Amino acid sequence: MVFLSFVNCMRVKGPDKFWKRRQILKLAAHFYGRKRNCYSIAIRSVQKALQHAAYGRKVKKLERINLWKERITAACEELNIPYPLLMENLARCDIALSKKTLADLAIWEPRTFKCLTQIAAAKNQSYPPTVKAALQPPPEGVITRGML
Amino acid sequence: MSHRHLFLQSGFIKTNLQNGVGRFVNQLQRINLIFCKSSGSSKGVREFIETDLVDFARANPGTVVYLKPRRHRGTYMCAEYLNGHKDYITCNNFTRDEVRKWLEYMKNKSGFPIIRLRKHWHTDHPSIQGIWNPFTHKPSYLNVTTFPEKERSEYQPLMPSATEQLLQIAEQVGFLDNSNTNNTTTTTRNTENIPPPLNMSDEK
Repeated sequence: MVFLSFVNCMRVKGPDKFWKRRQILKLAAHFYGRKRNCYSIAIRSVQKALQHAAYGRKVKKLERINLWKERITAACEELNIPYPLLMENLARCDIALSKKTLADLAIWEPRTFKCLTQIAAAKNQSYPPTVKAALQPPPEGVITRGML
Repeated sequence: MSHRHLFLQSGFIKTNLQNGVGRFVNQLQRINLIFCKSSGSSKGVREFIETDLVDFARANPGTVVYLKPRRHRGTYMCAEYLNGHKDYITCNNFTRDEVRKWLEYMKNKSGFPIIRLRKHWHTDHPSIQGIWNPFTHKPSYLNVTTFPEKERSEYQPLMPSATEQLLQIAEQVGFLDNSNTNNTTTTTRNTENIPPPLNMSDEK
């Protein structure tokens, strides 16, 4: 008689647990209390921490964009041009400056930013959205030479 | 959260006295090779000393090489840089090739410790036109006025009143003479630099 199915009951030992646990405990090295020393407690905290990190990576980008947008809006308000108008008209002029660059210009290079607002205002003049806007005077100090 | 940053300190990129802007000066001042004359772990270092060390010293005239034979001690190399920073690398059981490569690595480093760079760029002059301050876009006559100023203290409505709108329309269409436009009902800001506000919406 040949016994073939008994072999299926034999189990092989897995990889060394030490290294798997060490990987987790290394991530938990700055946690408080037993969470940094005991594996079965640490694994829970580490998994949660990794979830927070994954979520935070997306949120960080959104928060940054919003911060830049706020800063550009503040700079625009000082120069009496609405933010959507600035962005739309810069896009119309093929001035592809990102929000980050515009925010940096508004802080470090304020006169350049002012020129950009004037360009946007001049472009807005050539594509007036409403009848009333068409009747407004063109912005001062902008020489377009027919390029806009 | 990258776990690489947990114990790695962070900082901003910097160079030693703007090295490389003009002439480039190698930052490695001294290199000490500590080894044992007899033990087996120093074999690679000993071989390196016998073969490649003189070439290294000739190739780097600005760097001083010290050899320290210390009995019954571990093998390591200690690099000292021009800004006073010291770096150690243990060379136990290295091959001659490995010693040479790690020595090259030490030679090519700047003296600053390895940190996570928060920004990969640096400038001493971030602003050319001057950093924005609340007075950047304000008219310069404010420097010589005494406050409170009557004109700037007036109430500035966001939208023109109905009367003003009618007058504007009449003027544009041509019902009014030009002499009648000097009415004081329009409240406009006395701004030298800032244009009048742009209206997004059409109001009738």
